[in-house]
Amino acid sequence: MKQAITIFQLETKLYLRDFFSFFFTFAFPTLLLILYGSIYGNEPSDFFGGRGTIDVSIPAYCAMIIGVTGLMAFPLTLAHYKEHRIYKRFDATPVGKGFIIWIQIAVNVMMTIAGFIVLLLVGNILYDVTFDGNLFAISFAMLLSIATIFSIGFFFTAIARDSKMTNLLCYLSYFIMLFLSGATMPKEMFSDTLLTVSKFLPLTYVVDLLQGVFTGDLLTDYTVELLLLGAILLSCSIVGAILYRRKNWV
Amino acid sequence: MENILVKVEDISIQYKSITAVKNLSFDVKHGEIFAIIGPNGAGKTSAVECIEGLRQPTSGEIKVFGMTPHKNRKHIYQKIGIQLQEADYPDKIKVHELCKYYAAFYKNPADWRLVLQQLDLEKRAKTLVKKLSGGEKRKLSILLALLPKPQLLILDELTTGLDPEARRMIWQSLAHIRDSGTSIILVSHYLDEIEYLANRLLYLVDGENKFVGTLKEFRQFAKKQLAEKWNEQYTLEQIYLHLSPKKSNLRLEVLS
Repeated sequence: MKQAITIFQLETKLYLRDFFSFFFTFAFPTLLLILYGSIYGNEPSDFFGGRGTIDVSIPAYCAMIIGVTGLMAFPLTLAHYKEHRIYKRFDATPVGKGFIIWIQIAVNVMMTIAGFIVLLLVGNILYDVTFDGNLFAISFAMLLSIATIFSIGFFFTAIARDSKMTNLLCYLSYFIMLFLSGATMPKEMFSDTLLTVSKFLPLTYVVDLLQGVFTGDLLTDYTVELLLLGAILLSCSIVGAILYRRKNWV
Repeated sequence: MENILVKVEDISIQYKSITAVKNLSFDVKHGEIFAIIGPNGAGKTSAVECIEGLRQPTSGEIKVFGMTPHKNRKHIYQKIGIQLQEADYPDKIKVHELCKYYAAFYKNPADWRLVLQQLDLEKRAKTLVKKLSGGEKRKLSILLALLPKPQLLILDELTTGLDPEARRMIWQSLAHIRDSGTSIILVSHYLDEIEYLANRLLYLVDGENKFVGTLKEFRQFAKKQLAEKWNEQYTLEQIYLHLSPKKSNLRLEVLS
């Protein structure tokens, strides 16, 4: 246990030292929230079905944070450690690379949740944001969303032959989903074409699910989203694990 | 009776159609520096990675402390220290953090602060690992390999790419480690290093064992092989070059 705590602490330090990960997990969503808040405020609006801009933005920005950790920080670290044979060196120790990878997943999940907390606190302090949602439903939706997006990042590292290819897949998918899933710009502003495109992006279902449960909808109102995210999680994890078994780590 | 730490019996390593190692047998005894030499692609690293449990031989058997390495990795890694030919560390980690990180892997690790001091790295403790010089990085890799307080140290091309001064500093460190009772398997291309440090050597060519024995026995072996070309004044490097199957056709006058 002491061993896991030491490694967890050091991996957390390494995460926070990486400017990109730190900025996009903590600073960027918060700055965006303040920017939109200062322009539109959080007054109830017919455009958002009687809710304020910040009310609907917070769950969307939570999806953005999941995108940063799941599609960028975690898979890029995995690809870098593998390509530079950092995992190979860990494999020549009593703990092995599997243990380190699980700790890195735990650190990234913790950072995702810490990002949510910062965002919620800022929203609450500056714009008096409150949530009608059920805590269990919100937690379940968040954890499923995290697991699904992480599984996509893992899948990218499994199909890419090197870290350059992983970078390309991760950057492309992250930025496409960031702008076309409703995570940055509300989908209410999308044209019909963009709405059609957004239906093919997993993060769209994360945004829909989180916005729903944050406003107090039941999980059962989002069966399609839950099933889709569950199917993506299972298929990416299983196919990724099979592909990893064939990879040469030595 | 001599205490055998590593016993390699008739191993072969096959990668698809390529045979990296053929019917290789040797053993490593307690308290010795055992060197593995041979040209690039001779199968040195493949053989060593099988001893480390990172690879499995296609056939044959390896015992390290009486255990099969790839089946008992957790136990074996508590007793052996490893420096890999190609391995890196996380980009943004500092020297003292990396030491803490690796020390956490072992049940009863060495005091890394002390080892840092012994290897003259304590002033660099708060430096990012990526900012260390080549020699300092190699020393750090020795430090990490020493953390389990190993009975056996496996070093693969430890001094490759270092300047002569840094190499000699590392030789001194290795001699100290050997004198403290740790056995060492040393893979190297530098024959002066082998001459200075090794007790016995294995000469591999195309995955085959051409010779295994003491340095004195190697000279006798080379004398027979080279026959009239033999010269008593030859250094180990000169012997190696004469034995080498890939004799270079490059003539120095071409360069001038």
